[in-house]
Amino acid sequence: MDVFFQILASGLTLGAVYAISTVGLALVFGAMNMLNMSHGALMALGGYMAWFTMTGLGLPPVAGMLVAVLVCAGVGVLIYLLIAGPMLRSEGFETRVFIATIGFGAMLESVILMAFGPQPKPQPLAVQGGLSVAQVHLPVQNLLILALAMVLMAALALLLQKSRIGRAIRATAQNRDAARLMGVRVGMVYALVLAISGGLAAVSGITVSSLSSLLPNMGGDPMLKAFIICVVAGLGRVPGSVVAALFIGLFEAVVQYTVGVRFSFASLLLLVIVVLIWKPQGVFGRHQGVRL
Amino acid sequence: MTAMRRDLLLCGLFACAALFWPMISDMRYSVTQTTFFFIWATVVVQWNLVFGIGGIFSLAQVAIFAIGAYVTAMLGYYLGTSMLLAMPAGAVAAVAASLVLGIACLRLYGPYVALLTICVSQVLYVLIVNDTDCFTNPPSGCMPLMGGVRGFSRFGDLGFRDWLGAGFYIGNYYVGLLLLTAAILFSIAIIHSPMGLAFRALRDNPVYAAARGVDRFRYQLWIFGLSAFFTGLSGAFYAVNTGVVGPVVFSFQHLLFLLSMIVIGGIGTVWGPVIGAAVLMLADEAMRELGDFRDIGMGLLLVACVVLMPRGLTGLFQDMARRFAKPADTEGAT
Repeated sequence: MDVFFQILASGLTLGAVYAISTVGLALVFGAMNMLNMSHGALMALGGYMAWFTMTGLGLPPVAGMLVAVLVCAGVGVLIYLLIAGPMLRSEGFETRVFIATIGFGAMLESVILMAFGPQPKPQPLAVQGGLSVAQVHLPVQNLLILALAMVLMAALALLLQKSRIGRAIRATAQNRDAARLMGVRVGMVYALVLAISGGLAAVSGITVSSLSSLLPNMGGDPMLKAFIICVVAGLGRVPGSVVAALFIGLFEAVVQYTVGVRFSFASLLLLVIVVLIWKPQGVFGRHQGVRL
Repeated sequence: MTAMRRDLLLCGLFACAALFWPMISDMRYSVTQTTFFFIWATVVVQWNLVFGIGGIFSLAQVAIFAIGAYVTAMLGYYLGTSMLLAMPAGAVAAVAASLVLGIACLRLYGPYVALLTICVSQVLYVLIVNDTDCFTNPPSGCMPLMGGVRGFSRFGDLGFRDWLGAGFYIGNYYVGLLLLTAAILFSIAIIHSPMGLAFRALRDNPVYAAARGVDRFRYQLWIFGLSAFFTGLSGAFYAVNTGVVGPVVFSFQHLLFLLSMIVIGGIGTVWGPVIGAAVLMLADEAMRELGDFRDIGMGLLLVACVVLMPRGLTGLFQDMARRFAKPADTEGAT
C-alpha cells in the first residue's frame, strides 16, 4: 500500500510538471495551428535565467522566477514577430513553422551552451527537505510543484474563460477570420498566446531542472513528452491536455517502478501509437468532418 | 524537350562531371567530403520523395537511414557477413522497418505524422544509448547488443583497401557516386511515373482524385517503402565508408542538418535536395572555423530560408528565370 501511494505521489508530480509545459504547447496549437518546436529550448532558457538571477546576481527566488518568466515571454513574442507572423497566411504554414521553430530552438540551445557552458548546474530555485506521512516520503519540492501547477492551471482557466483577452483567444482559435471581422486584433492575440506559452515554458523549465539539473539540452525530452501528451489529448485541447498530462505522469511512474526507467519513454510511445490507431483525433479531440 | 528528358540529361551530365573530380582534385579531404555529399544527397533525394512528392510530413528518414547502417554493421560484426551482402540486407531491413512505421502513422495527417516519427527516432536513440547489458564480451570491452554509446567499428569494408591500398577512398568515392546517380534516376522515374501523377492529383484535388479511385493510403505506403530502399542503402554505405556506426546517426542535430538541406534546396523538386545538400555541405565547411558559432549559424540559415524563401533555392532560381524571360515573351507577343 505504501508503494502504491509513493507511485501515486511521484506520478502526480511528474504529471504536474508535464501539465505546465503541455498546456503552453496546446494553447499555441489551439490558437494558431502551430507546433512550437523551440519550446524545449525555452524551457532551458527559463531554467538558466532563474539560475543566473539567483546565483549570478544574488537576487531572491521570486525575482528569479519573475525574470525567467519575463525573458521567456519576450522570446515568445520574438518568435511571433520574426517567424510565425511573416508566414502566417502563407501556404503550408504548419509545416514551415514546424521546421523554422526547430531551427530557432537549435539556435537558442547553442546560445545557452555558449553562455553557460556544458556542465550541469544545480537549480537554486528548489526547496530541500521532505515530509513523511505514514511511511510515504514526500519531498517538499514535489508538493510545491503540485501546488504551483494547480495555481497556474486555475489562473489560466480563469483567464481563458472569464477575461476579455481570454474570449479573444478563444474566438481566434475557433475562427480567425470571423474574429478579425468582429474587431479582434488577431496579431496581438497570437503574440500574447506565444508570450503566455513562453512564460509557462519558463516555469516548466524551472520545475524540471529542480528535479534533475540544468543542462542546455534539458528541454528536449520533456518537450517530446509534452507533445506526446498533446497528441494523446488531441492537439489544441487545453483542458484535455491537463487530464492527459496527469494520466501520463502516473503511467510513467508505474512503468518506471514495474519495468524500469529505461523503457518509460518507449512505453509512452507505444501508448501513443495505440491511442492514435484507436482514436486518430486524440482522446478529447473532436472529429473534424472534411468540408468540400 | 520534356521535363523527364531534361532531368535525365542533367543527371547524366552531373555523373560525367563527377567522374573526373578525384583526378582533378588531388586533395584527399575534398574527395572524402564529396563522398559524404553523395551519401547525404541520396538520403535527402529519397526524403524528398516522401515529403515533397508524397506529401507525408515524415521525420523518420534519419531513423530509416540509421537502421540501414546498424543492420549492416551488426551483420558484419556478429556474423562476419561480407559487406557486399550486408549492404543490401541493411537496405531490405530498412524497407521492412519503414513499412511497419508507415502502417502505424499513415492513418494520420500533417503534424501528427511528424510528431510520431520524431518520437520513434528519439526512442530508438534512447534505447540504444541506455542499453548497458553486455551481449558479448570481446577483449575491447563489454558490447551491448546494439553497440550502446560506443557503437560498432571494424565490421568490414568493400575490399578497396586491399585492392587500391592508400587510394581506397577513391573506390568509396565511385561507389558513392553510383549510389547517388541511381537514387536520382529512381527519384526521376517515380516523379514522372503514374505514381507521381497520382500524388499530383491527390495534391491538386484530393476529393476528385479519391473519387477516381486514387487510394491515398496505398500510394503513400508504397512511396514510404520504396524510398526506404535507397535510404537504407545509403545508411549501409555510410557504415562501410566511415567504418564506425554509433548512435550519433540518430541524433537531433543530424536530423536538423538533413532537414535543412531539403528545405533550403526546395521541397518537391527533382534537383532541390541535391542543390540543398551541396549548399549545406559548403556552408558547414565554411563555418567549421567558427567553432561554437557554427550551430548558431546553421539554425539561423534554416530559419532565414524558411521565412524568406518558402520554395527554397530552386524556387528562387525559377522566379529569377521567369523575371528574365518575361521581357522577351512580351516582345514576341506584340
